[in-house]
Amino acid sequence: METFARHRVLLAITVVLLLFSAVPAWADPPLREAIDAQMTIVWEREKVAPAPAADDAAFLRRVWLDLCGIVPTHEVARQFLDDADPQKRAKLIDRLLDDPRYAQHQADIWDMVLFGRNPPGYDAPKRVGCQTWMRNSFAANMPYDQFVRHLLRAEGNTAEQGAPMYLVQYSRQPEDAAMAVSQTLLGVQLQCARCHDHPYEAWTQRDFYGMAAFFSRLSAVRNGQVNSLDKVYLAEMNTGEIKFVGPAKDAVPGKQGEPIKPKFLLGDAIEEPDLTAEFKDEKHPGDGKPPVPPKFSRKDKLADWVTAPTNPYFARAAVNRVWSQFMGRGLVHPVDNMSPSNPPSHPELLDVLAKEFVAQRFDMKKLIREICNSRAYQLASTGEVAEPFPQWFERARTRPLSAEELLESWRVATGHDEVTARSGKKVEGRFHGVTFDYLRQFFGEPTNGVGDFQGGLQEHLYLNNGELPRLLTAEEGSLLDAVITSTDPPESRIDRMFVSVLTRLPDPDERAKFVEFVMVKENTQERWREAVWVLMSCSEFRFNH
Amino acid sequence: MNPHNPTVDHLSRRALLKGCVGTAAGGMVMNWGSLVSSAHAAEAASKKQKRCILLWMNGGASQFETFDMKVGRPAGGLFRPISTNVAGTQVCELLPNMAKLMDKLAVVRSMHTSQIDHPGGIHLMHTAYSEAANIRFPELGAVIAKYIGREQSALPQFIKIATNGHSGSGFLGPRFAPFNMGHDGNLPPFSKSYIDPQAENRRHELRDFMENHNARIHKVETARMHRESYAAARRLQNVLETFKIDSEWIKYGPLYGDSWFGRNCLLARRLIEADVPFVEVGHGSYDTHGDNFTGHKSLTAPMDQAWSALLNDLAERGLLENTLVVWMGEIGRTPQINNRAGRDHYVRAWSTALAGCGVRGGYVHGATDIDGHDVVSGEVTEGDFFATIYAALGIDPKKENFAGSRPVPLAPFGSKVVRELLV
Repeated sequence: METFARHRVLLAITVVLLLFSAVPAWADPPLREAIDAQMTIVWEREKVAPAPAADDAAFLRRVWLDLCGIVPTHEVARQFLDDADPQKRAKLIDRLLDDPRYAQHQADIWDMVLFGRNPPGYDAPKRVGCQTWMRNSFAANMPYDQFVRHLLRAEGNTAEQGAPMYLVQYSRQPEDAAMAVSQTLLGVQLQCARCHDHPYEAWTQRDFYGMAAFFSRLSAVRNGQVNSLDKVYLAEMNTGEIKFVGPAKDAVPGKQGEPIKPKFLLGDAIEEPDLTAEFKDEKHPGDGKPPVPPKFSRKDKLADWVTAPTNPYFARAAVNRVWSQFMGRGLVHPVDNMSPSNPPSHPELLDVLAKEFVAQRFDMKKLIREICNSRAYQLASTGEVAEPFPQWFERARTRPLSAEELLESWRVATGHDEVTARSGKKVEGRFHGVTFDYLRQFFGEPTNGVGDFQGGLQEHLYLNNGELPRLLTAEEGSLLDAVITSTDPPESRIDRMFVSVLTRLPDPDERAKFVEFVMVKENTQERWREAVWVLMSCSEFRFNH
Repeated sequence: MNPHNPTVDHLSRRALLKGCVGTAAGGMVMNWGSLVSSAHAAEAASKKQKRCILLWMNGGASQFETFDMKVGRPAGGLFRPISTNVAGTQVCELLPNMAKLMDKLAVVRSMHTSQIDHPGGIHLMHTAYSEAANIRFPELGAVIAKYIGREQSALPQFIKIATNGHSGSGFLGPRFAPFNMGHDGNLPPFSKSYIDPQAENRRHELRDFMENHNARIHKVETARMHRESYAAARRLQNVLETFKIDSEWIKYGPLYGDSWFGRNCLLARRLIEADVPFVEVGHGSYDTHGDNFTGHKSLTAPMDQAWSALLNDLAERGLLENTLVVWMGEIGRTPQINNRAGRDHYVRAWSTALAGCGVRGGYVHGATDIDGHDVVSGEVTEGDFFATIYAALGIDPKKENFAGSRPVPLAPFGSKVVRELLV
């Protein structure tokens, strides 16, 4: 009793201290400078010359796409390009981090990370609840450890709270859940150890099943609806073990395995309260009843361990993933394979990023702000090198736009949203103008986790023969209307078109070529439409560079 | 059989390509002027080009209801064996037409593979590798497109019809990506341009200007791939007729059988004849966890007819000697018959088959024990099977590609070509 009281006093003191100690400012030097210092050391060591800084237009398009997932409007782009303020890049980064589109775009990216295009599980295709929760979380800049704790504790339901959908997709698939959580959130690949001890890493099959045991009592329970979405809860029982049967190649039908206790990676088996021999678990609630929390929750233990500042994997995996999101490749690449056999390209930098991320209480916006303000992020992408993701970050990466980025950027570029707004027509959902299912089909898969470009000829069939003409109307508010009805000289109208679509002014030869193309007596409108199509479908638009 | 690069064929193809010039519309026409002396040789070379059709038994067809019967044993099932045109070799009565073509077929009764579920098995039997998180392995079709594809062909070099597998070209990149046709064998949406050709040319010329401009500034390979794929999409416009089987269906429909699989097999033959090096046609689902026997009875009838018609048709056209026809699914089925009269997944001992392109017809490779539980002789792994396919096509299975810095051989390290299967 006395010990307990003393603990309480200590706890109170700690809480007070925490409340009054301000979050420390960035280490000295600021993180962006630490990034560039490490980059420079490695460039010199590897004898690679970094590219010059990207010009304003290239930076502008890149940072809009990376932070907000769309290209800027013509007006916004012009304003930035004409701004003489030497601080304008830093100011733009701050502005975009507070833009509602930032939250939307980050939610899109994490939706792909956590679910992909074809998530497993019966419920996961309808995950609006989770997507909304993610968007709100990024808008509020929820610390990343909290974000992940919500995913793993899975409290509430998939429609109202949203977060439970992450584990609901792996309902009754504890092995799959263990693989996904280890790989996505810890950067550790356990899948080899599912069937045999890992040949190159420390993981054994028992490590794998030790992690899987945290998920062995979980199942999805449906109870009611809201906004025609099923409310799915994650039920956790008091009993139910994962069975270990030995290497898959020796598997014999019908052989029962031995139960495995939950065990953290490279840690000990957790202490669980012993159930008496007479203990009978509650009946599984089944659909139509809210699940009863277990007496002892394995998944909550796991959530605490995963997100602890002392977890050796968590912060490193997170900063590595965020780094790759902006820089094209991880400091460890691929990002979900952090292992001794796949060392980081810049080990000191990875350490600094992870340490600072923890010190800054897992503040995502702070981390992203520092990366975007680094010299490395703002290098040009042009040059002689063919590699889209340069190994030493000596040049900016070239990444394909996602299906979402393409559609919404096309709409910004053509003024389609402005046309829709002026027409007073109601639009439902984000994806209108063209059929999003087609975009998902033709452009949706390059997000394979490695970021490779996989577009083949079928995407060009869509670009050439598909629905783009729907976005190319000449109604009031559209780009086409603006350039066709304008009385400005043709050169400035071509400039307008380039800035609207490609976020840059044309070079003199481009300007001359396009003026010649549109300045004809007949079918002028058709010519302008073809010219805009060219800019929308060309490789320059297809990539973020 | 020389598994290494057949230099003669390779040179012939180069000679053929040299004789081609691009047209303004992006298509290729023969420049007969420079090829007068070699035109005949080029045509002959074209016919000699090796190609491959994969008949994909989606879900995993049962070896016991096809090529490895266990009559009178617990695994036996309901059907009887029938004799074939090869003395001493019997197959299931569900394959009456193929039984008459046994002399063209090499059967492997001793497959032993490593992935027992559909997603893993589909990946494995399309790539020869198990899935890995950090390497994206290319499918068989992408490898074949790369090594024996026609670089300047207007047709896609890797075509999939009504089938599964999502690995595509993997680390080989978009140039060898599959062209996916629907289950009905129709072209995918937006395949055909409806723009006035003059206008199309006009905008193409402007787009070309932009691409050239961009290519001078951005040398990155993904942008180059994007340009190549654009050119391929335009070239396709000139050959869309190849995808229409209507003109031939009246004659060949009764032979191939009036089923989607029959139609798609005829389409595969048309594409192969037009020099596409790889076409995959899917059939099923053979995943008969329940009612295995009625399931296989209804599935094998159209399959047996279309498969045999395809082999006959290829042979009549002189194409079979250079066209490898592979028959397989992702898994086999259990010797045990479960309480729903079904068979579950089984990969310790199952069957595949090959025909054409130097395959030893009438040959049965390997054997399983009396109950079909295990391979007792001539075990063939997925790697061995792929190595044999590549060798039959004149591709060295030891050839390596790089996934990042890691060398990846076409067939996994240690795979062996099953020489007995090849003449």
